[in-house]
Amino acid sequence: MKFLLAIKNTESDSRNILDIGCKIAEGFSADLTICYIGKKSQSLIEGDVNLARKSLAEWNIHHPGLEVLEWAYSVLKEKGFADDTEFNVQNLVEEEGRIRMVLPMQGNYQIRLVLREGELLTELNREVKRGEFDLAILGAPDRKRMTHKFAQFLETSIFFVKNFQPHWKYKILLCVDDSRATKRAVIFSTRISKQFNAPIISLTVSKTSFFGKGYRNAHSWAERYLKRVGIPFESKFSSGDPVEVFIQEAGSDHIIIMGKAKGSELLQFARGSKPIHTAQQANCPVLLVQ
Amino acid sequence: MLKIPEEFVRNILFWIQEKRWLLIIALMGIVLYQLPYPDNISPEGYRTLILTLIVIGLILTEPVPLPAVALLIAILEVAFHIAPAAEVAKSYMNDSVFFIMGSLMMAVAIVHQGLDTRLALGIIRLTGNNVKHIVLGFTCISALLSSFIGEHTVVAMMLPVGLSLVRNCSHQKPIPNLTALILFSIAYGSTVGSIGTPSGGARNAIMLEYWRTISDAGISLTYFQWIIMAYPMVLIGMVGTAFMLQVVFKPEFNRMDTAIRRLKIQVAHKGKITGNEILTIIIFALVFLCWVFLNERYGLGIIAISGAFLYMATGLVEWKQVSQNTNWGVILLFAGVISLGVQMKNTGTAEWIGNSLMSQFAFLMDQFSFIPYVLNILLTTIMSNIMSSSGTVAVLGPITLSMGGEPLYMGMTTAISSAFGYFSAIAAPACMIIYSSGLVKITDFLKAGWRMALMSIGTLLILYYFYWPLVVRFTNFK
Repeated sequence: MKFLLAIKNTESDSRNILDIGCKIAEGFSADLTICYIGKKSQSLIEGDVNLARKSLAEWNIHHPGLEVLEWAYSVLKEKGFADDTEFNVQNLVEEEGRIRMVLPMQGNYQIRLVLREGELLTELNREVKRGEFDLAILGAPDRKRMTHKFAQFLETSIFFVKNFQPHWKYKILLCVDDSRATKRAVIFSTRISKQFNAPIISLTVSKTSFFGKGYRNAHSWAERYLKRVGIPFESKFSSGDPVEVFIQEAGSDHIIIMGKAKGSELLQFARGSKPIHTAQQANCPVLLVQ
Repeated sequence: MLKIPEEFVRNILFWIQEKRWLLIIALMGIVLYQLPYPDNISPEGYRTLILTLIVIGLILTEPVPLPAVALLIAILEVAFHIAPAAEVAKSYMNDSVFFIMGSLMMAVAIVHQGLDTRLALGIIRLTGNNVKHIVLGFTCISALLSSFIGEHTVVAMMLPVGLSLVRNCSHQKPIPNLTALILFSIAYGSTVGSIGTPSGGARNAIMLEYWRTISDAGISLTYFQWIIMAYPMVLIGMVGTAFMLQVVFKPEFNRMDTAIRRLKIQVAHKGKITGNEILTIIIFALVFLCWVFLNERYGLGIIAISGAFLYMATGLVEWKQVSQNTNWGVILLFAGVISLGVQMKNTGTAEWIGNSLMSQFAFLMDQFSFIPYVLNILLTTIMSNIMSSSGTVAVLGPITLSMGGEPLYMGMTTAISSAFGYFSAIAAPACMIIYSSGLVKITDFLKAGWRMALMSIGTLLILYYFYWPLVVRFTNFK
C-alpha cells in the first residue's frame, strides 16, 4: 500500500501527523511519501524568485520546504521508521513540477520525500493521482469549505488529523451504514485498532427508530468481521441525526472511521455529505475510507 | 437515459473550482460586452475597457499562465475590433520590452559569476561588526546597486549574504528582531533603490515607453534626467529605511562578532578576484555608461540586449543557462500589457477612466492642485501591494497619465510609488523570498510597512511640490 503524508511546517501539528502516519503505515507495511506543498510566488516575480533561490543554493541555503522535509526525515529516524541515511540535497530529482528526494529502501517499505509548490488542493490532487495513494494523511484545514473540497476531490481515503494528542489512549468509532465503502472502513479500522491498541465501537445511526435492511446487514457484517479478527469491540444502534450522534459519541478521544459517501457528486458539491459534515465538525481525528 | 459517470462529474467540478476565477472573469466580460455602451466613450474604447478589466482580473487571480494572458490580449484586441492585426503585432515589440528582456538576461549572467561573495567581503570591510552599521550598509548598498543593475539582480546577490549572517547568529539564541532587521534592510533597500534610474526596474522602462507613445506631450526623458528627478528619493529613502527599521525591530544584540567571523571563513575560500569576475564588471560598467550617454540615440533596450549579447559572446554565460533562468512569460506579458496600454490611449479609454475618476474629486480640484497626484500615489500603492510593481505600472500607467496632472510628474509619481509595496510579501521578489524563508512573519511587513509607506509618500509629495518644479525650471529638460 502507499500512504501520503502532507505536512506544512516543523511545528507540533506536523509532528502529530508524522506520529500518527508512521504508526498507521507500520500497521499496513505501507510505503510512505512525505509531501510539503509550499506557497508559490506570483508568476510576475517567479523568475526573479527562482534566480535568487539558485544563488541561495550556492550558499547552501535551500528552499524552506526542503528544511521542513529534512526535519520530517529526522523525526522518522527518531522513531526508527527510517534508517540512519543522511539527508542529502544532492539526491534531489526535479520532475514534472515537483522535487523528489531519492532514498534507499527501508526493509520492506520505501520512504519518499516530495516538495511541491502551488495551490494546496491542486498540488495534493496531482500528487495523489501521480502516486496512486491508498491513503492521504493531512492536518485538518482551518476552513470548513477546504475540508469539504479535500474530502470530495482527493481520489483516495483521507485521514484528517485533528486535535491529535500523541499520549492519549484513543478508541475507534467505526461508523457503519449501507454505503459501499463501509466494508473497507471496517477492514481499515481493525488494522488501526491493532496499531493503537484501541477498542472499537461499531455504531450504526438511523434518522428514525427504524433501521432498514441495508443498515442491519452492514452492521451484522461488521460485527462478524470484528469477531473473526478478534478485536475487542462494542456494537451500538442509535437514532438521531447521524452527524450529531457521531460527533457526540466521539468527543475528542476517539478516532472516527467511516466510508466516503458514494452518492451524486453534484449533490455532494452543493450540500456535502455525512462523512464531509462529520469531518468538518468533529473534534477528533477522522478517517474517511474510499 | 444516458448516465454521466460520477468520476467525470467530479473531474468537471474540480476543474470548475480550480478555474472559478477564469469563469467569473469570462462571465463578467460577456455581461459587460452585452450591456449598453456608455455615451461618452467610443465602442472601441468601451471594449478596450472590458479587455483591461479582464486582464487585471487574470493577472491578479492567475487562473491561466501569464503568457496565455499576453496571447489573449492580442486575440481580443483584434476580435474586439480595437486595432487591426498588423498594428497589434507591431505594438507588441518596443524598446521597453527589449529592455526587460536584456536586463533579465544580464541578471542571469551577473548572478552566475558569484559576485555575491565579493559583495559580502566588501560589506563586512565597510561596516565592521556593529549591527547599526551593518543594517545601514545593507540598506545603502542594496539601494545603490539596485538603482543601476536592477532589483532582481541585487536581491539574488545580497540575500545569500544576509541569510548566511542570520543563520550564523541564530545558533546562539532566537533572534527574530535582528533577523527581520537584516532581511528587511535588503528587501526594502533594494526596493527603495530601484526607483533611482530607468534601469532599476522594468516599471521605469515601461513608464519611459508610455511617455514616448501615450503622452500627448511626447516626453522623452534621458537616463541622466531620470536620475536627477528620482535620486533624491533614493538617498532620503535609504537612510530613512535604515533608521526606520531599527526603530521597528530592536535588535537582540548590538554586535555580531561571531557571525561576521563565520561569514568571513565562509567566503574566504574564494581567493582573489578572477578574470571572469572582472570582465563581468567591465561589461556592466560599459552597459551603464551606454545607458547614460547613448540612451537617447539607441534606447535603453538595445543597450541592455547588447550587454546580454556581450555576456554570451565572451562565454561568461551559456545560452542554456540564460534560456533556463529567464522568465520569458513575463517578457511576453509585459509586451501584451504595453500593447494594451497603447490601445487604451488610442481608443480614449485611458482618458475616459482618468476623467471619470477625477470627476469624483472635482469639488477639491479647484482648491488643491495636488489631488491627482495624491490619488495617483494611493491607487498605485494599493495596486502594487496586490499585483507587483511592474505589473501595476504597465496596467495603471496609461490611466494615471490621463488623470489631469502634468504628465511628467504623474508618470514619475506612478513609477516611484509603484515601489511602495511594503505591506505585502507578493509585491517584490525580495519580500517574497524573505517571507517564504519563514524567518519573518506577515505582521512584520505590516509593522514596518506603514511607517515606510508614510515616509515614502511624504518624501514623494515634497519632491513633487518643491524639488521637481525647481529641476524643470533650472534645467529646462522637458
